[in-house]
Amino acid sequence: MSTPSEMEGFIYFYYLCVNFPDMINSVRNTVLAIANKQNFGYITPADFNLYAKQAQLDIFEDYFYRYNQWVLKQNSRVSGSEYADIVRNLEEVIDSFSTSSTLTLDSDSTFDLPSDFYFLTEIRSGNNTADRVSNANILKLTLSHLTAPTTTFPAYVMNGSQITLYPTTIDTGVTALYIRRPLDPRWTYASFSGGEPVFNESAADYQNFELPETDEPLLVSKILQYAGISIREADIYQAGVAEETTTTQKQG
Amino acid sequence: MAFITGYQYYENSGSSPQDSNWGSYQYVPLADLVRNFELMYVGNDKLVNNVPRYNIIFHAKRAIQELNYDALKETKVVELTVCDNLRVVLPPDYVNWVRISLFKDGTLFPLNENVQVNYAKSYLQDNDCNVLFDEEGDVLTGTSLLDYERITSGLRDMYIGAGKMSGREGYFVDDQWYFSYPIGGRYGLNTETANINPTFKIDKASGVINFSSDMADQIVVIEYVSDGMEGGEDANVSVNKMFEEYVYAYIKYAILNNKFGVQEYVVRRAQKDKSALLRNAKIRLSNIHPGRLLQNMRGQSKWLK
Repeated sequence: MSTPSEMEGFIYFYYLCVNFPDMINSVRNTVLAIANKQNFGYITPADFNLYAKQAQLDIFEDYFYRYNQWVLKQNSRVSGSEYADIVRNLEEVIDSFSTSSTLTLDSDSTFDLPSDFYFLTEIRSGNNTADRVSNANILKLTLSHLTAPTTTFPAYVMNGSQITLYPTTIDTGVTALYIRRPLDPRWTYASFSGGEPVFNESAADYQNFELPETDEPLLVSKILQYAGISIREADIYQAGVAEETTTTQKQG
Repeated sequence: MAFITGYQYYENSGSSPQDSNWGSYQYVPLADLVRNFELMYVGNDKLVNNVPRYNIIFHAKRAIQELNYDALKETKVVELTVCDNLRVVLPPDYVNWVRISLFKDGTLFPLNENVQVNYAKSYLQDNDCNVLFDEEGDVLTGTSLLDYERITSGLRDMYIGAGKMSGREGYFVDDQWYFSYPIGGRYGLNTETANINPTFKIDKASGVINFSSDMADQIVVIEYVSDGMEGGEDANVSVNKMFEEYVYAYIKYAILNNKFGVQEYVVRRAQKDKSALLRNAKIRLSNIHPGRLLQNMRGQSKWLK
């Protein structure tokens, strides 16, 4: 059975697929229309997919910084409510990448985190939340009577993509709630028409962008920047930068 | 913690022990306190943010400890037999004593705390009074004469105990009392020490209670306060609901007081909150009911002879 966050993520993903089924095609068409004037800046599907992945990751990561900025603005009372509640909008986008995974104990008494995790939201042991503790503090924590981790208040330390849970008697029922990385976008095609590949969203490896449709201008700008650098076309790069600057300024 | 049904409360849903939920509604578990604090007092738009949970747990436990010492009035009671060595080991969760009594003939007799020393560590000495050491250079010790005398009933103390007039009877003849010994001669009696009950002295460093010799083979009842930490079982730590808001205020104040860059007026406000809530909770817990006052007032017209 899916957890609430898994279900919310699935619903949001479904929403994206139904409402913006070919956002990746739209982005590609726009990029080609700008870059390929006079057949000078054609971008192959393989290159486009590489640029699209980078652009999406760039924007995805930027969501966290924007979230932080807007939290500060909200605390300064310069953010509104309802439709002007930017923090909530940003949370909704970030939450659409929220998922969970059951962790299993390794032979070295650690738990491996999922390979697609980007930001660890919470580690749970049953219904108890584990506290994240730095490696520098875990010894002091375990030696103190008042703060020593217990099954009611467990704690964990992170080492790369592994965690060690305290008390070490906990070996099952451990769940990681995390924000996953967006899936790599993949513009797919099945055949050629007039020398051009024809978009095919039924391909097994097809993957649309996972960001909201409102990020399409930003995606176009970012991809144009990568493409501009690739084809040594300063105008395209500058246009991409200018468009991105305008968009981000509007978004605060 | 979720609300429980009547069946869960009275019968523990058929599990053992049956009484595990009795009276539980008076208390808030530590886990609930910490969760509620994280939900309601910690966040990007709250005074407290970016604080590790173990900080909250630490301050919550400190608040509960402080309450247990003087405000909660929740004493623990343990009954033990005093053996021939006249010594009882303090309970494992002992912090301070409230009352220590002798239980005899169906009655609790409160014991006096001996203000005099009744135990000592004895250093072994040679004939020239030089202190003796073992091969590692540590002082050799043995049973002190003070302890020996106390255990063998040879130790005298300032407490009168039974006294020489105890049990002496007179004769009531023709509406007059007659005595075969002079009476009224105990002028200057120090009432502080005039008590027939045995005495005790707590050796905190050794973790034992030393009793006077008349406690041998007797039953002692120790009323004491603990710190509410329940032997490190976080799941069993709880606090009376009257103090719930105080615990939140205590945690908030403790965190803000230690956080860099918090304005002094914010810290002061938190401090005042904490102090006011403690006073409120103490008043609430003192249970001043009109009915009780009335009961006490009924004694006002009693005739004193």
